[in-house]
Amino acid sequence: MTATTETTSTQQWAEAFRTANDQDPEIQAHGKYFTCSYLLDMDDHTVVVRMNAGRVAEISIDPGPLGAPYQFAIRASAATWREFGVEMPAPMFHGIWSASFQRDMRLEGDVLVLMQNLRCITRQIELLRTVGVPV
Amino acid sequence: MARISPVTGHYVTVEVDGLEYKVFYLENGTGQPLICQHTAGCHNHQWRDLLEDEEITANYRVIAYDLPRHGKSDPPENTAWWTEEYKLTADHYANFILALCDALELENPIFMGSSFGGNIALQLAYRRPDRFAAVIPVEGADYSPGFYLDWWQHPHANAAQVCASGTWDLMAPQSPDADRWKTWFYYTQGSEAFKGDLHFYSVDHDLRGKLGDIDTDQCAVVMLTGEYDYLTTPEDGARTASQIRNADFIEMKEIGHFPMSENYPVFAGYLKQALEAIKTKKGASVSS
Repeated sequence: MTATTETTSTQQWAEAFRTANDQDPEIQAHGKYFTCSYLLDMDDHTVVVRMNAGRVAEISIDPGPLGAPYQFAIRASAATWREFGVEMPAPMFHGIWSASFQRDMRLEGDVLVLMQNLRCITRQIELLRTVGVPV
Repeated sequence: MARISPVTGHYVTVEVDGLEYKVFYLENGTGQPLICQHTAGCHNHQWRDLLEDEEITANYRVIAYDLPRHGKSDPPENTAWWTEEYKLTADHYANFILALCDALELENPIFMGSSFGGNIALQLAYRRPDRFAAVIPVEGADYSPGFYLDWWQHPHANAAQVCASGTWDLMAPQSPDADRWKTWFYYTQGSEAFKGDLHFYSVDHDLRGKLGDIDTDQCAVVMLTGEYDYLTTPEDGARTASQIRNADFIEMKEIGHFPMSENYPVFAGYLKQALEAIKTKKGASVSS
């Protein structure tokens, strides 16, 4: 894959993720105060998602060192994220708690912000089962 | 014509360890008592489908109680319970279940519980094999550290949502949405008791090195664990069962830590296997 097509595909993924989130009935029903920013570290790519009142305000793909601030990070190998991005994930790849307890996922940074938004984050991660992952 | 369930509810007063509890329980069916413990921070409605399973209630008297401080069972009636932090211990938990079984005059009961109910099932088999015909530890293990977390009661987060969403991943993605969301909903209701329950689950409960002492001639043990359980994994269940003489272990596919609540039709198939295994074991025990 060339760098150009890879950039295109990650941007397409970001748009698909934004659409899935903004049209998701669960997040829109419960995400009135879902405002935070977080990093998805997938080894091959990093993604910073900035949320505002339940809607995606901005998705930054591979931001520079000071390019996109975030409050907490969810980190795992690309292989683990790929397991998340299938329609029916295998055991222990079906959520951030299971993968943190039993696989290589790590929850870092201001975890309180994650806990304050846990319901919506949990649903957002499940959206990867329909839009896939950019790695 | 109104659709009225055959399940009935009652209160029974239980005195144990100097405490007096008014305990709420649901029951249906006739035959050998099958007494059921809900998971930590939850209540007896998790057993709603089992209580109405005509195939099982034709042969078993299914009793599902609310542990004190859960559901419709209040904290103790005779103490200023609000002046002490709630931390469930193995001793009190086991003593309570024994006192409840005595109060209800249960003969030859089978005890079944999930998660911290699975762990206390193992404790009961270890402590009082004479009192139970069998135990069915569901999602249980000899030792299950790591879940006694301050996050369950962190005042800066929404405890109801943290408890409910923290346990969401314990369910399998194959389980029906409606049942997973009911289970989530139950967990939004029990956040204050949840952490104290987990003191038993992750701190006080430890049967490592003791499993070989369980007398399965008196009390049969059949363990069930779902493959999506990230806390007490199938490996944990299999390891535990392997150390109990003549115990059975069944891994349940495409289901998680709340099998009776998140996907009863799948769980029912495995439960019926477990009940059959117990019949076989008890028959062999009587004839030997």
